[in-house]
Order: sequence, then C-alpha cells, then structure tokens
Amino acid sequence: MSEKSTGDGETELHGPDLGAHPAAAAEPPVERVTHVGRRTVLGIAGLGAVGIAFGSELQSAAGGALTHVSNALGGLGALVPGADEFRIYTVTGSIPTISPERYRLQVSGLVDRDLTLSLADLRSMPRTRLVHTFQCVTGWRVPQVHWEGVRLSVVLDRAGVRSGATALRMFSGDGVYTESLTLAQARLSNVIVADKMIGNDVTAEHGGPVRLYVPPMYGYKSIKWLDRIQLLDRVIPGYWENYGYAVNGWIGGSA
Amino acid sequence: MSARGGTPPRPLTGPEERLAPRKSGTANDGAVPPRARSPRQPRRLKELDRFDGVERAVHWSTALLMIVLLFTGTVLYVPTLALMIGHRAIMENIHVIAGLALLVPLLAGVLGPWRQRLLADLRRFDRWGAADFDWFRRPARRHNLSRGKFNGGQKAEAAFLGGGMVVMLATGSVMRFAPSRFITLATGATLVHDIGYIALFVAVAVHVFFALGRPEQLKSMFSGKVPRAWAMRHAPVWLEEIEGSKRAEASKKEGRDQASSSSG
Repeated sequence: MSEKSTGDGETELHGPDLGAHPAAAAEPPVERVTHVGRRTVLGIAGLGAVGIAFGSELQSAAGGALTHVSNALGGLGALVPGADEFRIYTVTGSIPTISPERYRLQVSGLVDRDLTLSLADLRSMPRTRLVHTFQCVTGWRVPQVHWEGVRLSVVLDRAGVRSGATALRMFSGDGVYTESLTLAQARLSNVIVADKMIGNDVTAEHGGPVRLYVPPMYGYKSIKWLDRIQLLDRVIPGYWENYGYAVNGWIGGSA
Repeated sequence: MSARGGTPPRPLTGPEERLAPRKSGTANDGAVPPRARSPRQPRRLKELDRFDGVERAVHWSTALLMIVLLFTGTVLYVPTLALMIGHRAIMENIHVIAGLALLVPLLAGVLGPWRQRLLADLRRFDRWGAADFDWFRRPARRHNLSRGKFNGGQKAEAAFLGGGMVVMLATGSVMRFAPSRFITLATGATLVHDIGYIALFVAVAVHVFFALGRPEQLKSMFSGKVPRAWAMRHAPVWLEEIEGSKRAEASKKEGRDQASSSSG
C-alpha cells in the first residue's frame, strides 16, 4: 500500500470518523472526481439526437462523397453508412433467378382478356424513361436512378380493365411477396413496369428481369420479380403492409 | 466527498460481512501472526467479491441480447449476408424484440431491491479521478496508477457502450415505430443507427478481446470472485476500500467492546 500516491495512509483509514463515513473511504478525500461517465453517455445520446434531426440533410450533402468512399473500398464499401447505395432486401431465403427468355408477366382478374407478356412483348410496347430518387421507408435512398420500361397503364389498357375493378394485387416471383395499388395509383403516368435500371437490364438482386417502379411511393411498393398482376374490386394489403406499413405508401405521406 | 447524498450506510464493499470476525474481544487482533489464527478468523480472504449475482445476471443477459442484435443487425446491414440469408421480416422482428428486451435486464437490475452493488459499480463507471485520466495520458505508466475497481479504459468502454445502447434504442425505435411521414427523421435515424452499428461492433470486439486476455477478470464475470493478488496488482485502491472499511469496522467494534468491558 505504501506506493500509493493519494496520501490516504492506513493510519488515516483507522480513524473512527472514517468508520462513520464509509463513503469517504470509498473515494480518497483529496481526489477530484469528475462525472465523465454520465457526461459521455449524455454526449453520445445528444449526438444521436442531432443525427436523427439533421442526418437526412447531412446525407444529402455528403452522400455523394461517401459513395466514392464506398466504391473505393470495394467489397467493404457496402459497410459505409450514408452512402447513396441500394440495399438489397429479400423476404425469402434467397433471391429468385428468372431467365429473361422464360420470363412471363401475367395479367388476370377483372380484365377483358388475360395477358401473358414475354420480355420481348414488353420491349415492343411504348417505352418510358425517367430519373428519380429511390426512397426506402427505412430511411436510405439512392438519388438520380435511371429507369426504363413500360407504363403500367399501357399494360392495363392492353388487358382492358373491366368496370368494377378498383385495385391491383401484384405477386412476386419469390413466391411470398405481394403488393397492392389502387387503380388510380396504378394509372399514374410515372408508374412503370421496368426492365432497365441504372443503364442496364434489371439485375436479379434488384428484382430482374422485370420489376415495378412507383416513384412517388416508398420502395416497398415497387415490387421486385414482378410475376403476376390481378385486378380486383378491393385493395388487399401487401406483404409489408401486413406488418404495419402504410397501404398508400406515399413518400412523406400522411400514413 | 461525504457530500454524496443518499449514499447507503455501508456501500460499495461486499465481502466485509464475511470478513467480520466471529468472535470479538481479542484486543490485540492485528498482532496475532496469521499462522496462529483460527481458520474461522481469516485475516484476509484469498478472493474478493467483484460482481454479485445480480450484476452477472445483468451482464450475461445483456451480452446474449447483444449477440443476437449484432448477428441479426449484420444480416440486415451487410448486403452479401442479406442476400445469403434473406428472411428480412423475421430478422427484423427478432432484431426489434431483442433491442427492446435490452432494456429489461439493466432496468430490472437497477430498480429492484437487489440493486446496491450494481448501482455502486455504475457510480464507479461515472466517477473519474486522476488515475483514470492518467490511464489514457500515460499508457506506459499504467501499472503505477492507484487504480480503483475499474481502470480508465474500462470506464470509457462502459460509458461508450451505455451511450451507444441509448442511441441505438432511440434510432431503432424511430426507424421501426415512427409513422412514415417522418421519413426525414427515419433517414437521420438510419444513418445514426448504421454508424452506431459499426461503432458498437468495434466496442464489443474490444471488450471481448480484452476480456479474453485477462483471465482473472474474465473468470470473475462467471464466479463473481477475483483473487486478492489480482486486486493488489491491478486495483489497489479498491482493495483498500474493502479492507480499509473492514478495519474501520473492526476497530469500531473493538472500541465498543472495550467500552462495555470498562463499564462492567
């Protein structure tokens, strides 16, 4: 004990007054104590709050630079927070691989004629290109994504929507995922059945060969591996909507 | 220092009960050589109580939840794994439930009637003295520092993990429960949650790494006990806290005994 520098020798601790004040024995009386612990916790919590409030703006400002960092890191780049990159979500154990040659889009339900469209069929129809931010409801986004495909309304017109149909139910080729749109939403001019994205054919992980893209709504509405469209007289909520997500997934919407 | 209001009457040290001499009245207590003592009156324990059962239960249940959180979080965050394992809804639900459950052990430990030692250690994490700052300033002289139960590095780690958990709980709750019109907040929360994931991953790795390199301390998180020799080397101030208050108590008792015998 003799090498202790604080000066609380053993004799001092024998004093009866210290027996009455064990708290004094716990901390040497000469030592100045700073509450670093709680300050650190509060400081980190404060930083977190600032991040929640301003992180979105920060990401808008720095996302491009972070994307460069992310790209420079190669395989580890996906770990960079805040980069403007897609995150690949799948609700099943694996992503479906569907060959472009064998791909067919089926349209059925309250339509004049059931359709079965191949990729070549879709590519022979009037094409639409658009550039738009992809916004995920969980808070990540990818600005300036190039999309190309056929307006969903064009596909619907080809099938001939019967009166009484008010909604679409869409099924993913993964066998699990579903999505919904009202007929009015589906007819918006920028809602497309996309087969090209970021300048290339839509890859399997992005939902290729054919997916939906609904620019004014959160990403979960843009169903991947679009397999089947059914016209119904009512909205049947889709996969994430059964987990509490808004059925009308307008970005910044009122849900 | 006695200004610390609300300090329980006999805080911080646990083993003194067991150290207390069963028989009082041996006036020359300190003078008896150790060999001559009865085994029922050990002068010093070979082991000291470092963590009580509550602290260990809180630690290990929190650790288990952290493992679940880091695993599911990694699967949700790393694209390669997200693709390999998929099942996003299940992973998310496990992650959210484990995240909310993280509150339970610590709150139960701090709010229950068994909280004394846990609170005392949390207070230790909070209070930094000169030795704790010097632990960072002069790494080469760490062995000379008059360290308490925890060193500066451990205190920093504890504060960092504590702050990190608060932030992850808050941002995770925004991500999961905020209505989707608050997408701006969710975006900020996601960014913070992602950064926090990496930071906490590193912090937990550091914690495990150092624990594996320090067998006495690692064992103490299982058994609750640490060798007295370890405390002499690494936590002399803590040892003095325990044995000093023990001595103070013994001498007080001695004084009382003497007083009663002189009056009789």
